[in-house]
Amino acid sequence: MRPIIKVEGISKRFRIQPREAPSVRYPTLRESLVRVVRSPFARQRNNGGRDDTVWALKDVSFDVMPGEVMGIIGPNGAGKSTLLKVLSRIIEPTSGRVELYGRVASLLEVGTGFHPDLSGRENVYLNGAILGMKRREIDAKFDEIVAFAEVERFIDAAVKHYSSGMYLRLAFAVTAHLDPEVLIIDEVLAVGDASFQKKCLGKMDDVTRSGRTVLLVSHSLAMVTQHCRRAILIDGGRIHRMGPAEEVVAHYEAM
Amino acid sequence: MSLLATKTTKQPPLAEQSSAQTPSRDLSYDVPEKPVVTIEAGKSWVPLNLRDLWACRELLYFLMWRDIKVRYKQTVLGAAWAVIQPLVTMIIFTYFFGKLAKLPTEGVPYPVFVYAALLLWTFFSNGVNSGANSLIGNSNLITKVYFPRLVIPSAAVGAGLLDLAIASVLLVGLLLYYGFPVTWAYLMILPLIVLTTLLALGVGIWFSALNVKYRDVRYALPFLIQVWFFVSPIIYPSSLVPEEWRWAMWLNPVTGIVEAFRASLFGRPFPWAALAYSGGFGLVMLAYASYAFRRMERNFAELI
Repeated sequence: MRPIIKVEGISKRFRIQPREAPSVRYPTLRESLVRVVRSPFARQRNNGGRDDTVWALKDVSFDVMPGEVMGIIGPNGAGKSTLLKVLSRIIEPTSGRVELYGRVASLLEVGTGFHPDLSGRENVYLNGAILGMKRREIDAKFDEIVAFAEVERFIDAAVKHYSSGMYLRLAFAVTAHLDPEVLIIDEVLAVGDASFQKKCLGKMDDVTRSGRTVLLVSHSLAMVTQHCRRAILIDGGRIHRMGPAEEVVAHYEAM
Repeated sequence: MSLLATKTTKQPPLAEQSSAQTPSRDLSYDVPEKPVVTIEAGKSWVPLNLRDLWACRELLYFLMWRDIKVRYKQTVLGAAWAVIQPLVTMIIFTYFFGKLAKLPTEGVPYPVFVYAALLLWTFFSNGVNSGANSLIGNSNLITKVYFPRLVIPSAAVGAGLLDLAIASVLLVGLLLYYGFPVTWAYLMILPLIVLTTLLALGVGIWFSALNVKYRDVRYALPFLIQVWFFVSPIIYPSSLVPEEWRWAMWLNPVTGIVEAFRASLFGRPFPWAALAYSGGFGLVMLAYASYAFRRMERNFAELI
């Protein structure tokens, strides 16, 4: 079987804003003026010698097979989100190559593009279109989405009047009804009150068991062991460990 | 912690269950030979992927529809604003430039003379302005979802077409009132609007990309638009400009469009050469802007 996602040596370097160099003597007004005028354009000039870059990802390679649910774990700032953003084509890698053999939908956030002034109904269509659904697809799933979110009565009210729970439920409901071959998820799960959380997790179970390929970034180790067969532990931009989920989680807990 | 612990101990059976069910239940997916998408670092030449753009025409439609809906939400007068702005401008200009300054209009009543040009100009300048600010205004989308970014400024420009349509009702009224006959030259109106849209797209797309990196655009653009307004023949005819300077006037692509628009409405000789220049300018500008946009697009999520 061939992989559906092939990641080969991905690196991503970010440039940190260069610190204002504390000058030894006071600069003349003319010098400051020149600096101010130039500053938007002369960013990289005082780069000599000092390293003002950071590698958010360094030489990351892995394959994901079709139908596999892969967890990605690691401490804050390890590079997980950067990896997801590269795979979702939001940011470009500095080097390396990714091959995707299917349509990818990524949920880096719930309710992307929701507009407070528009009604629930309008936002479902708008959000669906932004996430890559066809209009017919949304038409077909509309009732299901609204029922899942439990906002039937308020669907024609502007979402700025929604309670935050209703808002999140509707946003999650749209994303939960996406139908891509590969789904990339960043901690957007389980929103709302206890009963809705249960429903969300149930939906996640359905998704991960339906044979869809899923990449799941989470801080909830329980969730990773529950849903994923394999997992990747990232730290400092590098793959620290890759293998069966329980093993990788155990390793992470011992770190 | 205890909750987590009990949960983790419960996991193995569930995990086995899910992994046992994974292979090809509902969706056995045949992995294609060639990748659907390849992501690589810094390709210097990025072709304009028209197929990608075509694939997201529905998104373009939804974003235009959102811009239009949101614009008139919580307004009492709603879409009437699309008429009020050029109407009031027309009344003021008619008084000052038509009545007091007595600008020549080649025999056309000043109100309809200036309103025709204002109609196109309002669409053009609003298109450029909202296009240029569209990426910044949608930064939440750019940092969270992928789709061809060109859709955003295009939708912002396209959303102005509805305002144009609403405001043209008044133009029809003025033409009827002053007794201008309907002629075959009216067939040129639609191509002229298409041309104006192309030009607004070209300029708007280019400024939108620049605006992501250099926020100076936000301050420079209103000024530029104002200057552009006065060097275009909106409140005066291009024939007012002395003969030896008229070539400079025609360098402005808006001149050809506005003069051609008036020519088709008021039954005058058509400025074909100027129009051809405007058309060429519009196409080259759009091509260049799209290319520049594609080159800068890859850094949007990091810069915005």
